[in-house]
Amino acid sequence: MTDPRTGLTRRRLLGTALGGAATMAALPTWAQTRTLNILSHAVHERVLGAGDADLLSAWKSDNGATLSFTTFDSNPLQDRLFREASLPATDYSVGYLIDNRPTSEIAALFEPLGPRNAADPIEDFADIAPGLIQGMTVDGNLIGIPVRHATQGLFYNEAMLEEAGITAPPETLEELIEQANRLTFTSASGTPVTGMVLASDLAVFPVMFARAFGGDFITADFRLVPDRGAMEQGLSALRSMFETGALPRSYATTRNDDMVSWIQQGRAAFTVLPFARHAQLNNPEQSNFPGRIKAIPFPGSASLPAGTPMSAVVEAWAMVIPRNATDKDLAWSYIREVSSKRVTLGMALNGNGPVRVSSYADPALIERNPVAEIEARVLATARGAFPPFPEAARAQATMLEEVQLAVLGRKSVADAVSAIIDRVGPLMPA
Amino acid sequence: MRIDRLLIGLGKGLAVAVLLAWSLVPIAFVVISSFKPGRDIFAVPPRHAFSPTLDHYAALWTRWGVFFDGLWNSLLITAGATALAVIASTCAGYVYSRNAGRLLNGSVLFLIVVRLIPPIVITLPLFPIVNLLGLNDTHLVLMVLYATFFVSLGTVLMRTFIDQIPRELDEAAQIDGAGRLTILRRIIVPLAAPGILAVAVFVVVFAWNEFLFAFIFTGTNAKTAPLVISEMIGSIDGVDWGILFAASTVQLAPVLLFVVFMNRFLVAGLTAGATKG
Repeated sequence: MTDPRTGLTRRRLLGTALGGAATMAALPTWAQTRTLNILSHAVHERVLGAGDADLLSAWKSDNGATLSFTTFDSNPLQDRLFREASLPATDYSVGYLIDNRPTSEIAALFEPLGPRNAADPIEDFADIAPGLIQGMTVDGNLIGIPVRHATQGLFYNEAMLEEAGITAPPETLEELIEQANRLTFTSASGTPVTGMVLASDLAVFPVMFARAFGGDFITADFRLVPDRGAMEQGLSALRSMFETGALPRSYATTRNDDMVSWIQQGRAAFTVLPFARHAQLNNPEQSNFPGRIKAIPFPGSASLPAGTPMSAVVEAWAMVIPRNATDKDLAWSYIREVSSKRVTLGMALNGNGPVRVSSYADPALIERNPVAEIEARVLATARGAFPPFPEAARAQATMLEEVQLAVLGRKSVADAVSAIIDRVGPLMPA
Repeated sequence: MRIDRLLIGLGKGLAVAVLLAWSLVPIAFVVISSFKPGRDIFAVPPRHAFSPTLDHYAALWTRWGVFFDGLWNSLLITAGATALAVIASTCAGYVYSRNAGRLLNGSVLFLIVVRLIPPIVITLPLFPIVNLLGLNDTHLVLMVLYATFFVSLGTVLMRTFIDQIPRELDEAAQIDGAGRLTILRRIIVPLAAPGILAVAVFVVVFAWNEFLFAFIFTGTNAKTAPLVISEMIGSIDGVDWGILFAASTVQLAPVLLFVVFMNRFLVAGLTAGATKG
């Protein structure tokens, strides 16, 4: 039968429909691969090297495997990882997880790795920083193997200190504030310099200032503002720097990447960034002060009792296996190889923050990374900005809102700390 | 009188200049910065005199090869989505133009409502379905999604265009024995070509720059260029602004040229039917 208006026959219509359906059915086959699929940030793939410098070439040939990395920016990556792990099955057998994300609910999406490590252990597991292992242990289960960390240090522009007649970087927070005030000036080149540049949208900085006085935002055992006085001192220090101009007038809109460009351009004398940024800050193609930007541990207050360590903030990444992954054995084999001493060191030489204590003692790394020794020292006492819990993102946003009001002088420091306690309290886990 | 006219002319000129600056300065900053040495990009005071360099483009090629894979994927998906949207919109526009009825009139409202739904509302529920169908990370899923979102607007546009084609032409062709498909192919499509191009411009601009659907539904095989650019911005080992601006310039250039070339059709599409009745 033919439709007189369209010229279509029933047979032709049926044939077209069946052909279309067959094409759709064939598409999944094209989309599938026989490789180990990995969800990560691009940097995780890059530090493993490529071509002749591929750190995993022997593992690949031994296992007849190829790797297929799907890479995203940090937050989209976590979002995608959780969505994939929530499906009945996923092609991604390895994912990279940030240590401040695994709540009990999220941890339940991933394979407990303790039993696998007992049956087929990672080389010298005790060599991996215990604090990082602790961060990936949720409800008693090890769910991720640490692979990278970013530990915060204090960066300073040595040339500017010299120009201002300062002979040594600060050893206490009070000295830091005093030097930042002195370094709020117009340099000989005519560039207006701000003593210190800090982003206002990250909890790292107020937490570091609170810790410098022995306080904290939320402790690992979920105590909110355990030392109110220390938090008030930390915020008062930030506020005083803003009032003297040692923090930029644009503080409320300053972001992480501004910190990098400001210190590279000589617009700020101090900043707080992961030690891993040392190479970028001194890159002659980007920086006006190559080789002159140095790093030291963020100093604690002189009022801290002697022997009390200043705990810098550290953020770590770990490799996880989704419970619904299709190739868990190959995934564990990959994780074991990436966690080996050889690959950990190789990645460190490619710019990765090494999770093994022994890597920092390697002469090649010390030669390549001038701040390796300092970073290792800081890492020993570093901990996350706050522990993971379901309302952590809202808690951070609330805290930052109050911190900004305090620093900008819109609210007294005491009121801001009270508001942090009152508003974040209900968000804390029971 | 002459002074008034002069003042009005000056005011108009100033308004246009402000609008142009508002639109063009950010683009110019990105394009110019892509040729600046890295240390000059954010220099204070700004360095307007500099030695242009192609280093960032070379670095983009060597360090972010995946960006060019993304461009290729963007091209395939944009072409596919445009073809699908144009074909569906033309067919639907023809039906709406040449037929009447309560059901058809009611469905026009439905077309508009579809445009009002924020894409995020449907993306997350779609994810498990797309995954179940095995279409995740395929070009096809983005082609279909992009086309779907533009078929409603495209249909309304095409209906307006086809309304301007005299029905007598259809009737004359029918008398000569032509079927609906023949009339559509031989008479309507050639005469409605400006409308088709206007719809194509809308879809191309949307599909080329779209991020949300691409982020949700692709991974490796069908990853588009905007996703790669977002990775450059979010690099945890530091943003290389020169490379980022070079990538943005490469991403911007084809669609900018396309829109400039097709500008007159776009204007025709937006004003189609404006003086009708």
